[in-house]
Amino acid sequence: MRSFLLKRLPSGLLVLVLASFLVFLILRLIPGDPATSLAGPDAGPEAVAAIRGRLGLDQPLLTQYVGWIGDLLTGNLGPSYAIGGRISDLIGNGIGATAQLTLGALLLVILIALPLGVLGATTRRRPVAAAVRAFTTAVLAVPPFVTGVLLVLLFAVTLRLLPAGGHESLLDQPDLAVQYLLMPALCLALPSAAVLARYLKDGLERALAEDYVRTATALGVSRRRIVWQHALPNALPSTITVLGLQIGHLIAGAVLVERIFAWPGLGQLIEQGVIRRDYPVVQDLLLLIVAVHVAVQLLTDLVYAWLDPRIRWE
Amino acid sequence: MTALTTPSAEAPRRTARAHRNRYLAGLLTGRGLTGLTLVGLLALAGLFAPLLTDLDPDAQSALALAGPSADHPFGTDDLGRDLFSRVLHGIGTDLAITFSAVPVGALLGCSFALLAASSRWADVTVQRAFDLLLAFPGIILALAVTAVLGPGRWPVLIVIALAEIPGFGRQLRAGILVQREREYALAARVGGASRLRVLLRHVVPNAADPLIVQTAVALSIGVFIEGAMSFLGLGVRPPEPTLGSILSQSVAYLSTHPTFAAAPLAATTALVLGFTLIAEALNRGIRR
Amino acid sequence: MTAFTSTSPSGLSRRALLRGSLAGAGLLTLAACRSAADTASSAASGSATPRRGGVLTVGTGIDFTPSLLFAQSANTLVQRLVFNTLTRYDDQLRPQPELATSWQLGADGTSVTLELREDVLFHSGRRFTADDVVFAVKNLQNPARSAQLRSTAAAVTEFRKNGDFELTLVLAHPVSNLFDLFEFMIIPDSASVEDAVAGTRLIGTGPFTFTQRKPGSSITFARNDRYWNPGRPYLDGVEIRIVPQAESLLSSLRTGQTHLSYAIRGKDVATLKGDPQFRVKQYDTGSGAYYIGADLTAEHVSDKRVRQAIAWAVDRDRLVQQALGGYGTVSAAPWPRSSPAYSEANATRYSHNPDKARELLKEAGVGTITLPFAHSNDPGNTAIAQILQYDLRQVGIETVLQPTDSPTMQKQLIAQSMPALWTLSHGFAQLQPATLTVSAYPFNEARNSSHFSSPAYTELVQQAWHRPDSDSPEAKALHQRITDVLLDEEFVIDLAIGGLVEVAGRQARGTDLNKFGYLNLDDAYLTA
Repeated sequence: MRSFLLKRLPSGLLVLVLASFLVFLILRLIPGDPATSLAGPDAGPEAVAAIRGRLGLDQPLLTQYVGWIGDLLTGNLGPSYAIGGRISDLIGNGIGATAQLTLGALLLVILIALPLGVLGATTRRRPVAAAVRAFTTAVLAVPPFVTGVLLVLLFAVTLRLLPAGGHESLLDQPDLAVQYLLMPALCLALPSAAVLARYLKDGLERALAEDYVRTATALGVSRRRIVWQHALPNALPSTITVLGLQIGHLIAGAVLVERIFAWPGLGQLIEQGVIRRDYPVVQDLLLLIVAVHVAVQLLTDLVYAWLDPRIRWE
Repeated sequence: MTALTTPSAEAPRRTARAHRNRYLAGLLTGRGLTGLTLVGLLALAGLFAPLLTDLDPDAQSALALAGPSADHPFGTDDLGRDLFSRVLHGIGTDLAITFSAVPVGALLGCSFALLAASSRWADVTVQRAFDLLLAFPGIILALAVTAVLGPGRWPVLIVIALAEIPGFGRQLRAGILVQREREYALAARVGGASRLRVLLRHVVPNAADPLIVQTAVALSIGVFIEGAMSFLGLGVRPPEPTLGSILSQSVAYLSTHPTFAAAPLAATTALVLGFTLIAEALNRGIRR
Repeated sequence: MTAFTSTSPSGLSRRALLRGSLAGAGLLTLAACRSAADTASSAASGSATPRRGGVLTVGTGIDFTPSLLFAQSANTLVQRLVFNTLTRYDDQLRPQPELATSWQLGADGTSVTLELREDVLFHSGRRFTADDVVFAVKNLQNPARSAQLRSTAAAVTEFRKNGDFELTLVLAHPVSNLFDLFEFMIIPDSASVEDAVAGTRLIGTGPFTFTQRKPGSSITFARNDRYWNPGRPYLDGVEIRIVPQAESLLSSLRTGQTHLSYAIRGKDVATLKGDPQFRVKQYDTGSGAYYIGADLTAEHVSDKRVRQAIAWAVDRDRLVQQALGGYGTVSAAPWPRSSPAYSEANATRYSHNPDKARELLKEAGVGTITLPFAHSNDPGNTAIAQILQYDLRQVGIETVLQPTDSPTMQKQLIAQSMPALWTLSHGFAQLQPATLTVSAYPFNEARNSSHFSSPAYTELVQQAWHRPDSDSPEAKALHQRITDVLLDEEFVIDLAIGGLVEVAGRQARGTDLNKFGYLNLDDAYLTA
């Protein structure tokens, strides 16, 4: 396992470096010169040049890139151009909320998908299987933004059980915070849960159709034991890969969900950054997301390899 | 887990013809037919929209937010445009976008996966490329692309295609990895078959099954991405109707004019439902 | 839950019972703890006497842009909470004292002497003096602040202090909109003004102190215990909550998450109107005028007849009904009803007449043309742009919509880099008429977004602006002549005056806006 980690870690770092190049270059393609817009409409060319100098925009690209990475490594994220304030403060403000949202959603994904997948694959009652299938299909078929607004209409406007939007700190007021979290997390979780449940169900069904299951059944091993001790471990590796992919969707989906539920996270910050051409913010946030991804993918591969000994990494 | 090994190392013998028949058998089940009917009807409706209604989807009138009537079967939107015509044309736009973007993404993804199977070096490179793409998931990718290109039809196409590459690629690659280590593949290799032959004749056909599910998911994700981008104001430019744009427009009136949302919601749901049912049917067909 | 346990246990398996009681316990827990959905909505109609305490939540769709603190921007809720102005208008545009207790205009209108309050402290503890007024005027003269009233501020050429609390401003020439400046100009702390435009620290003399800002999410304020207005504010704090989606904003009002909003769309207001839970108030100053702007350096629209054709082509009634939900007034001129320059004849100069539009286009020798057409990319403005696009198509003008984010629109407007056509809304017509023509970017005689310039327009504008008054017959005649130029040249094609609607839950009382839309909560309170 350790040797595997040693092999995968450098490639993870490689992705990170490549992504940082990409992010850096993509954002240089955005039309519009930040110095001109920062200087204001009435500023003369000297004022614009001064701002370019202050921001280092007059340096060669490579110098700018190295400077940016250097700043990141020293934790000096600098000021934002348009949103105002220091980028580290902006990220600090949003990261807790986004972590709450995505982790809450991830928890819901597993809580929904695991029983649903197992139920769907193992039940012998046709109506139950049909219901499971209908549920995953329906949840997949309704786009998350519609789910979100329907949830608001149902729980906030009609039943008045949950708040329509906003956020409380989980540390200060846990009871209220959970109520604020429920709808956005559910909205974010449902599509991923459906995908995961479907993969898990398919995986389990495949595993249960294998000969060894028949053998085991013939040998008198209980159905429950077969499912939990044999089929599930066999179905898990591919499910974990899908879960890894779904975490990506969760982070991306958070942008939409944060917008719908006025959730003050990094999604809203990056959207603001894109809209206001505040590319230091966008740059830093994109790279942050990439870093999270690299970590998640690494973790996914590790778990996959750990669960599925058929894969060997010489 | 190790105690239970597959007792037989026999290769699942499947020729291309047998495969086709299985797919066909799958599609001819109730589920498959329902899916085909849904997608087929919607596709026909989208394709022949100009014949089904003589109302211009962009023609506005003073009659805004009207409920369903004989003149306007689905009612009208907030600018007095006929929703029947808009939804039909919107289906057309969505299908045109997803059916051109998803195959591009799938083709690229699968090509990369095959490339990855050719050598260890290629595998590492392709894996990093996928990781790199996955680092910009869905809407993040949409934000990055539209930040550079601005909103419009092409950015939506590009985002969908890019977003589908790693899904297909990784799925196929994972399948190849598993199948390649199976006894039948090892046996074939030991038996003197070339690497490429084993890969194309034995490994890929068996590893391709999950791609069927992936295709259905991809098509629905395509519709999602279109909708999400419309919702964030990054999608196809108005007034051209898309399911996502009509839907996001109707969301503002959910509490007051729920009939506005009904048609685009039903069409979107039916479309994705259709894709999903087809995929499920195919999936069951090949597993039979 | 009680019903559950009292049913005969024989009918339920042990596991089902366990499951049921777990679910019941879950519901009970949910019921027992506070409900986040209901924290603010339980109150019945409370007493009408002001009450101390409570945090008022204001919902808005657009975030505060610190760099536009001293300019008129889309979010002006912050200004009057943290800062004060020298005077404030009543409903008849008569100035009332705020930080200035009295004022004396010089005989020829080229000076004004202000008496200032002596008991005002900045949030930093420093005393407010005449120097702070001097700084505030100079601050607005600074081009970097992009203040629309810069020309009026720039008319101040000299400051004469008489002690710390009396100040005479000497003007280069009389201006008819001096009190517009005093209504607009917030008095910042000179030491921290750069922090203010960076959004890190806002220090003023206002009723609330800035506590925290989460970009894209919320801005919070706490009561200023040393506020000069005795006993005020009543509130312990204010939270401005940014809710970008209109539907969520509406829901948050319904659930009592927010108490107050000025950002509810007209069509949504209609659905709240009959609801006794809400108080709806309309300001007759309007929320600005919707218009189509034309860049006169662009092909085709450089011809006046094409612009007039556009003015005839638009169905303004449909625009008001469909895009503004009926909360607005059709108007071909920029002035709202409250303006001294308003007249029915001006407002109805152009009506929906596609034939006339086609005729004018023919006269101009223009066949079918295609023009770029920029608009803000939010749903409301996208709907407006589509309505306009359709109406223009009917007379043979094709447009390519360019959805643009609001900050970029604003920047292009200021930088005169708009495409051939654009649609936006403009403010400033609710004030002294001269303010519009010397200050608003689309109308500014010296430098406007349309690249329009005419000696006659400049001459008229300068005359109207250089008067010490704005309601004499001579002044009114000048306003009419300016309007005539605007309605003839049509470089700004006015369409409708938007309604400015305050929607508040029953608990929120005493809330107000000034003429620039600054939120004033000095007298606001929450009923029990």
